[in-house]
Amino acid sequence: MTGKGMTVLERLTRWVRRLTAMTWKEVLQLSRDVPLLLFLLYSFSLGVLVSGAGITMQLHNAELLVHDADHSQSSRELIHRFHPPYFNFAGEINDPREGLRQLDEGRAMLLLDIPPRFHEALAGGERTAVQLLVDTTNAPQGLSAASYAVRIVSMFGSEAGLNSLGFHDAGPMVLSAHRVWFNPNQDETWYQSISNVLRMITLFGVLLPAAALVREKERGTVEQLLVSPLSPFQIMFSKVLAMSLVILLATSLAVYGVLRPVFHVPMKGSPALFFLFTALHTFTTAGFGLVAATIARNQAQVGMMALFLVGPMLLLSGITAPFESMPRWVQTVMIVSPLRYYIDVTYGVMLKGAGLDLLWKPVGAMLLLGGTLFGYGMWRFRRQFQ
Amino acid sequence: MNLRLVTAVALKEWKETTRDRLFLLLAFLLPTLWLVVFGYGLNLDVEDIPFAAVDRDHSALSREYLYKFMQSRYFSFRGYAADERVLDRLLTETKIRAAIIIPERFEEQLAAGEPVTVQTLLDGTFPLHTDIAKGYVIAINQAFTEERLIDHLRRSRGLTQEQASRLVHPVTVEVRYLYNEEVRNTWSMVPALVMFTLMLASPLLTALGVVREKETGSIYNIYSSTVSRAEFLTGKLLPYIVISMVNVCVLWLMAVGLFHVPFKGSFLFFFSASAVFLLCTTGIGLLISLLVQTQMAALIITMVVAMIPTILFSGLLVPVASLTRGARVQAHIYPAMYYTNIVRGSFLKGVGADVLWTDLVALMTFAAAMGALTYRLFTKRPKT
Repeated sequence: MTGKGMTVLERLTRWVRRLTAMTWKEVLQLSRDVPLLLFLLYSFSLGVLVSGAGITMQLHNAELLVHDADHSQSSRELIHRFHPPYFNFAGEINDPREGLRQLDEGRAMLLLDIPPRFHEALAGGERTAVQLLVDTTNAPQGLSAASYAVRIVSMFGSEAGLNSLGFHDAGPMVLSAHRVWFNPNQDETWYQSISNVLRMITLFGVLLPAAALVREKERGTVEQLLVSPLSPFQIMFSKVLAMSLVILLATSLAVYGVLRPVFHVPMKGSPALFFLFTALHTFTTAGFGLVAATIARNQAQVGMMALFLVGPMLLLSGITAPFESMPRWVQTVMIVSPLRYYIDVTYGVMLKGAGLDLLWKPVGAMLLLGGTLFGYGMWRFRRQFQ
Repeated sequence: MNLRLVTAVALKEWKETTRDRLFLLLAFLLPTLWLVVFGYGLNLDVEDIPFAAVDRDHSALSREYLYKFMQSRYFSFRGYAADERVLDRLLTETKIRAAIIIPERFEEQLAAGEPVTVQTLLDGTFPLHTDIAKGYVIAINQAFTEERLIDHLRRSRGLTQEQASRLVHPVTVEVRYLYNEEVRNTWSMVPALVMFTLMLASPLLTALGVVREKETGSIYNIYSSTVSRAEFLTGKLLPYIVISMVNVCVLWLMAVGLFHVPFKGSFLFFFSASAVFLLCTTGIGLLISLLVQTQMAALIITMVVAMIPTILFSGLLVPVASLTRGARVQAHIYPAMYYTNIVRGSFLKGVGADVLWTDLVALMTFAAAMGALTYRLFTKRPKT
């Protein structure tokens, strides 16, 4: 089987057949790992369901305590303006110290203190002030609650003031009209369920091929593969192919089993394009995994390295916190995070209906990144064994 | 339990770990580096929202209005657009997240004392960020309106600046931020990150412990030895608890020394609660190690089980109060949330066992449950 006297086509078919055989071996090996397979199924079905349905990051039910020293019509009217979904009235207290204790225990997040003579002052055109204590152990949430509260109070105040002036809805004022695009109802389940699928794809995308390659190194079976008529490229690429295939199947389960039927996430762009991009993303993340696998000698090491890579990828790429507000250096470092591009691509295709004409930049970046990583991994792999 | 046998197992495990230089290095390096990267790099505030504007009025006042947005640290101006179609494309390409359209006769109408409506287009893909951006827009509009009103009152009714502003703005709010007076992002992030790094790194340390021996077959040495189940499991856990405890101390030092987060609580309570928490986390790894047959499965399952609930349900990003029912139940059966309360309470609030005892009890219960489960599941006489 030296390949002499074979046509190009014959050689190509043989090459493809060998690659397919190796890929099939990986798929078989994975399918025999029942706990892993069950877990994979869970992660892309029930796991997505729970996370999608369960989380609202928007300010929701912030527990509000009130100390009302006035007990007047105005103070009651003001208190009534703090209502769900943002605030949850947690009760009235008579002693501010009692309120502080409840904040200490984490039973309430805000304490609104209305001074005596509040109503009188308002009616008499005097300036008055209410006090607001906010728990900022979670800074963004605390700030967000405070800004809502300030907005409510100042709206209340300026309405009272303007009414006494005789302006109702007239006067030189700037009114806000908002139009929200791509998710007009602000349905947070869309965002949460999609981003959880992205997290899963990334986690599995780095780990599966990395572990598969290191496993062969650890047991020494990689030497057997190298003396077989397989090129290093076929050995490495078959793992990427097999794992991408599995992840694509799992992703379609998540999209057509959970996202579309349960959460009614739209698919405005082309589904084929989405799956193509997903394949590209798994190829790129697999590149990271393979490079790590050439450095590691056993699976414990590769696990640590993968965690090391995936953690920042998941937290800093823009699904958990807005990418634009990250410090400059983070934005620069995250140029090498494939998830950073995949986020734009996924939301672009699903919610915005964008096509390749708008998305060629992130796609080009992913291709370049994936190619570089895979090439570097190949180079290291060859050097180690030849 | 024979203490000598426990030490023997622990020593064997310790030697194995310390011989693997790269693994040992990563076990210590990962929490420290993560704290630095996330402590400085993870900013949860919504700032620098990229926006574009269509100005149909081209007046001094419309420029003054837009200037308010450009000056704000919450927005970052990306230029004027000719019409809405351009905005449409910019939004779809994610070049901008918000757009402002100022109507014709903006200045004229305001000068005449009439209200004007300004259109804002917002990218809704991240509802939380959209919501916050909407809040910023409303706040800027409110401030601009007040200026216009004061100006109008001064001219039309001959009031002084002081009188007019009192009429327009009769109630002020004095906000006091508790526990984190300057609302520093690092103060609230770093303690939670201590939880995050421990929660992710320590289960991974133990995850391969048993399954590796199963795969290589060295577990049969244990099966045929006199080591009892409890002795074996304790010995397996001990070295990793020691490593993680060292990490707790390093993380604590970094939080206080590098990030200047105040530590107001009690040392004894914090470190003993941390030890209990580490029993939980290393227990999770060990449990998974017992349940699976391959190291690959152990790795992946541990990482997902440690990472996803911690990102979603630990209180790191979202307070547990804003979770819906099902998710809140999940948060309560997972140890991360309790430890978040303990870390934040000890660092920022200065509360101790008197307030946080419920969290500690919950962690203890979880650790005990993990212990009982692993003990039940580990058998020295496997069926096959």
